[in-house]
Amino acid sequence: MRLPSRRSVAAIAVLLAVAAFAFWRLTQPEPLPASAIPAHTADRANGEVLYHAGSCFACHKAAEGATNPSLPSGGTPFKTPIGVFYPQNLTPDPESGLGRWSEIDFVNAMARGLSPDGRHYFPAFPYMAFRAMRMSDLLDLRAYLMGLEPVKTQHPPHGVPQLELARRAVGLWKRMALARLPFIPESEGSDAWKRGAYLVNAPGHCGECHTPKNWLMLEDLSRHLAGGPHPGGEGKVPSLRGLLERKKYKNAADLTLALQNGEELGYEDISSGGMALIQENIAKLPEADVRAIAEYLLSQE
Amino acid sequence: MSHSKRTLAWSAGLSMVIAAAWGAVLAAEDPAHLRHEAMETVQESFKPLRAIAVKEAPFDAAVVKKNANTILEKLKEAHGLFPEGSGGGDSRAKPEIWSDRAGFDTAMKNAQSAATNMAAVTDEAAFVPAMKALGGACKACHDKYRLPKQ
Repeated sequence: MRLPSRRSVAAIAVLLAVAAFAFWRLTQPEPLPASAIPAHTADRANGEVLYHAGSCFACHKAAEGATNPSLPSGGTPFKTPIGVFYPQNLTPDPESGLGRWSEIDFVNAMARGLSPDGRHYFPAFPYMAFRAMRMSDLLDLRAYLMGLEPVKTQHPPHGVPQLELARRAVGLWKRMALARLPFIPESEGSDAWKRGAYLVNAPGHCGECHTPKNWLMLEDLSRHLAGGPHPGGEGKVPSLRGLLERKKYKNAADLTLALQNGEELGYEDISSGGMALIQENIAKLPEADVRAIAEYLLSQE
Repeated sequence: MSHSKRTLAWSAGLSMVIAAAWGAVLAAEDPAHLRHEAMETVQESFKPLRAIAVKEAPFDAAVVKKNANTILEKLKEAHGLFPEGSGGGDSRAKPEIWSDRAGFDTAMKNAQSAATNMAAVTDEAAFVPAMKALGGACKACHDKYRLPKQ
């Protein structure tokens, strides 16, 4: 056998180095600088509305056996096709929660999908939707969370590929995903409709389950809210389009009652596949916001 | 048409009729189908109750009693229609019904006792709490033991 010439060995080494460099560059986290935070007086009441609109508690709920089960201290296993995540503790505990997160840390997590130490989050955390949130809303939400009672927690590491390279590779997906503009529906319609569109698509991240994904794991916007396979792997997520045409609800008042009361008033379509907990969060919103969500959803033909 | 052709046509037609009838019999005996029918009736009986709860209709103890009793009867009927192995296919029943049979039975019994309480409601003040208790019992069971619908 002839040994490869010195020249070809050198050429392969150069190619590998170029590929590694390109990978490293393309997956480089790009956090916002601290100067991106505007002067802002936080409104905790607005933060609480966003907390419920985003159903943060549905994923970040306290792990079984927690002393205060109503706090979002995280750690309840969250199953996805790539493995099990243990969602972040959202209380202000300095060790296990958000206590040491600065405003820019929080904004980078929500809008850029980056941890405070600058690593990519897997998109199980729906930053693709949250990045459409207004900066003032993000800061209000943080202020609300920072005012909660701190809880110290301990949970196992995520049951997903722990290789630094795998996490780094998420950066490739993000480069493609974040190149899309955040989804903001056309701004015609009443103020209530616009409010509903914002709540549903930005903090509400309804499309994470209700919009099918394409082969690149990006939401297929041509089938916005049209339903799809359940991300938990069992059953399907219903379409939110044509709710009036399909006679699911009579009008916005009817859907408002459904979102506020769920199956307690016999609206039986709203409590399977994890929706019961989401509905309980939506029920905590001011009535005008629930009504706005209903108006926006019923406009989706 | 020759004699043999006519016989052939007749027997083909007859076997189709028999197959269709057999299919209907099978469907009628399929527990997944039967419990679905029972639950549809429960859902229908909820509608007049919801109308009272949201004040679209006046409180009427007779309407409450009648619908609560239908719900109770249909819940009992449905409860008996979950034999082992009747999940899968188009059924929305989750495998947890059989892996956690005791939990499922408790959830079903809770709904039945909530319906019994509802049937005994005679005044408006007790109606909404009874409604929420019954709806809550349905919800608790559906959340855990039923797949979402497309």
